[in-house]
Formats: sequence, C-alpha cells, structure tokens
Amino acid sequence: MERYYSDSPKVDFDHAPEMAPYLEQPDAMYVGCPGKHGYLNLGFELDADGKSIMRELDRRAPLIVQQELYFDEAMPEMPCVYILSSGGPNVDGDRYVQNFTVHKNAFAHISTGAATKLAEMRRNYSGMIQKIVLEEGAYLEYLPEPVIPCRHTRFICDTEITAHPTASLVYSEVYMGGRKYYNDGEMFEFDILSVTTRGQRPDGEQLFREKFIIDPRRGGLRLTGVMDSYDVFANVVVVAPPESADIIYESTEPFIDREKHLAAGITHLPNGAGLLYKVLGTEPGPVKALVREFASGVRQAVKGRPLPKEFPWR
Amino acid sequence: MDTVMHLLQFTDSTFPVGTFSFSNGLETAAYERVVHDARTLEEYTRAVAMQAAFSDGVAALLAHRAALTGDYEAVVKTDRQIMLFKMNDEARMMLQRMGKKLAELGIRLFPGNELIARWLKDIEAGITPGSYPVAQGIVFALAGLNEEQLYASHQYGVINMVLSAALRCVRVSHYDTQESLFRLSAEVPALYERARTMTFEDMNSFVPQMDIMASLHEKGNMRMFMN
Repeated sequence: MERYYSDSPKVDFDHAPEMAPYLEQPDAMYVGCPGKHGYLNLGFELDADGKSIMRELDRRAPLIVQQELYFDEAMPEMPCVYILSSGGPNVDGDRYVQNFTVHKNAFAHISTGAATKLAEMRRNYSGMIQKIVLEEGAYLEYLPEPVIPCRHTRFICDTEITAHPTASLVYSEVYMGGRKYYNDGEMFEFDILSVTTRGQRPDGEQLFREKFIIDPRRGGLRLTGVMDSYDVFANVVVVAPPESADIIYESTEPFIDREKHLAAGITHLPNGAGLLYKVLGTEPGPVKALVREFASGVRQAVKGRPLPKEFPWR
Repeated sequence: MDTVMHLLQFTDSTFPVGTFSFSNGLETAAYERVVHDARTLEEYTRAVAMQAAFSDGVAALLAHRAALTGDYEAVVKTDRQIMLFKMNDEARMMLQRMGKKLAELGIRLFPGNELIARWLKDIEAGITPGSYPVAQGIVFALAGLNEEQLYASHQYGVINMVLSAALRCVRVSHYDTQESLFRLSAEVPALYERARTMTFEDMNSFVPQMDIMASLHEKGNMRMFMN
C-alpha cells in the first residue's frame, strides 16, 4: 500500500549498511506516520535590545518545546529550552529532525526534560537527523539527558554541525549500556547504535567526522580498550576558536580513577575545529557530573562564567 | 613469487617506515595496569585491530582502487577523508609521518611513476595530508599486489606493532605474543569481508578506553615510544 507522507522532512537511513537487517515495516503504525515523525526547528537571535531570544519555534509531535526560560542563575540572560516528547520513548519506525540555529552573537542552552529512552524494537529502527548551525560569534550549549537503549533497540543518528570560525558549541551525548536495574539487569542487549557527528565551516570546508557503531551482537564491547567493565559512555564535542579551545584543553586533566571506576580523556578535533572529551563510568550520575563540570569550563572559557549547580532533581 | 616477495618486504618490521616504533597507547595502558597480562594484551590488540580494520584499512583499500585506475582525485579525497576521522594529534602525526616516509621510499622503488611523484609533491606543498594507509594503497598497487594482500599486510602491521611494543612494557613472553598474533591473524579475513564494501560514510570506530589512554599519553610525561 502506498503511504503518503506529510510535509515533514524525510529521514531515511535505509541505505546505511548497518541498518540493513532492520528495514521491515512495523506491524502497527507505519514508518514516519503522524505522531512518529517529529521535527523541531529552533532559532535563537539577539533582539533589538541585545537580548538572546528564541525567535523561531516550529515543532511537530511527538517533539515539544514550549518557550525559552531564563532560569540560569550564573547567566540570567541565557535562554534555556528543554525538549520534551509526548510519545514517551523512541519506538520502531519513528523518525526525528532537530534543527538548531544560533544567529550572530546569540546564545542558548538546550537540554531534554528527561532521559531519552529507546524502546524495545521488533521491526525497523528509530532515526534522527540533527542540523546545528552557528553563525558568527554564536554560542550553544546542547546538553541532553542520557540515552537509554533497551533490549533490541536500533537507533541511528546523524548530526551535522556548521560553525563559523568564531562560533562555539558544547554538545554532549551520554549513552547508558542499557536498563541496568530492569529485571535482572539489561546491559548491551540492544541491536545497534550508530552515531555520526560531522563538522564543517559555512563555506563547506569539512572539519571532522566521527562515527561509531555499537553492535553488541558482534561482540568485542567488553574488550580492554573498548568498554572494558564500564557501563556508561559520554562523548562531548566542543567546537571553539583555538584561543578558547587551548584554555579548555590546558585546564582539563585526563584521568583513570580506579576507586570510583571513572575515566576521562580529552583530545583535539582535526583541522583546529575544537576538542573531544570522553568519559567512561559505571553509573550515569558521576558521568553526568563530569560532563557538566567540563561544560562549565567551556562556558568559562567562552563566556567568562561557569554553569550553575545542576538542579537536585536532575 | 615476486609479488609475495614484495608483500614480505612491505610487511617486514625492518621496512623503514617506523610502524614498529608506535605503540597505540599501549605504554599508558600498561602503566595504568589496564593491560597487565597476556589476556588483556590480546584483548587490547584485538580492539586496536578492529579499530584499524574499519578506518585505516578501508582508506587503504579505497586508495589502492584509486591508484589502480589512476584516479588521482580519488587518492587525494581518500587522504583527506581519513584525516577527518582521526580524533587525536598523535594519531594524525603518526599517520602523516609514516605516510610521507613511505611516499619518499615509493618514488625510489617506482622511479618514473607519475602518480606517486605527484602525490609526494602535493604532500610537500600541503595540498594533501599524506596519510600512511593511502601511501600503502598506492605502493601495493604499483607493486602489483592485490587488495587482499594489502589488507592482510595492513592489519598485520597494526597487530604486530602493538604486540612487539608489549614485549618491552607488559609482562608477557614471545610465546604469548606469537600465540596472540596467530589467533588475531586468523580473524583478519572476516574483517576484510566487511571492510571491502565500505565507503567513507561507513568508516567507524568505537574504542573509548583506548581514546582515553591516548589522551593520558598525549598530556603525560612518560614516553618510551613515539606514540
């Protein structure tokens, strides 16, 4: 039966070889049908008084953003936005597009209201495309809550970052190995996670490309050098001009803490694009705390102020 | 038989490219006791091999095909793409240092060959990065070696590099490392089957603990090897 899509942008990863085993149509609602094809366009810019505001907001269920709030005590002029989903977890056959644009000299903080749960899937996969555009002097903090893949989850995400050489971004992703305390514990029982992050300049010059595919069924995840005995992994991309990146690099110490079972490392992205910070841990709390501390250092280097203490309920 | 002789030459540890003086973060992993015996060494080496299999190994194959058809633009594209994928200063430096060395040797082994001469000229002019997998792809193509031989040699180089370094910083014997080498070599054909159909878009790597080791090494002071 022929399906008619709405005007929502097409998200199609069917060509990706790693998704080839997962192309069946779901039994219930078809791929990308209304309610399973969300998009979000957010645009931040300075208003006439020089205040950073969310000027563009266009969304489609199940993604929800209401309005920007100014609750950041360390930076009260920072518009803060939480992305919510009315659909609960990501399910098989759903597709998402998230476009964030920060116009000249504007700034914003984006997070999610809760962890992104990737539900158990039986047919097809969940896919997301993100496009982040940072104009001259723009600054974006995109620090979503962790991603929790369940048994047989299939998830693929492609993020394209287009940054002016004077713009800055800190974007964190925290991946749990699974629902650790569900029943007898579920660790690395998902089918596949495929995550690509690409950086480029506005003129199209390519800066970096990171892709990781975590495919537990192929084995090797518990190898020394891969996850070893860690259960949580965080990847933080920092795009920043060299002056800021150097300060952040110098003030960030890589370490392995055997007692707390935590480890972190920092490195330079290619082509002077910025930095990459990685954290391994056993529980999400300490990993999130490290990511936040690191993001605070980024804000300090770029905006001269730290991040406030995280809310106790987060 | 002459191609096999070339294969042995390009894979040998005395081949003056320096593959064998880099340790892929092993030194730090040993210092931090993450790698401490034959079993953890083999695991670590397997992780290094898997990472190389779907990144550098793919770039080598793509460069080999480009060199065989004389498609210089595709050589340069492969060279740039693999560098976009390298998330660490030392890894980039190592890839470029070895690549340039092999290109310099290549113009002596294949005098009069325009492709490698042009590539070396462009490396020196900063037009192309000059990465090692691309150099390997070109040299193997010019020597008449096929892509399976190239891939085998590439993976052997990666595995043997880590295991040889381990003899100097991990408590293991030659017997241990040779057993690991034998087992890990047997896994290469399966990796090739997956790598051979990959394009730039498909290159991938997931070795977070190794990345953290490389970071510790980069910011640390102890240094027994070049990487």
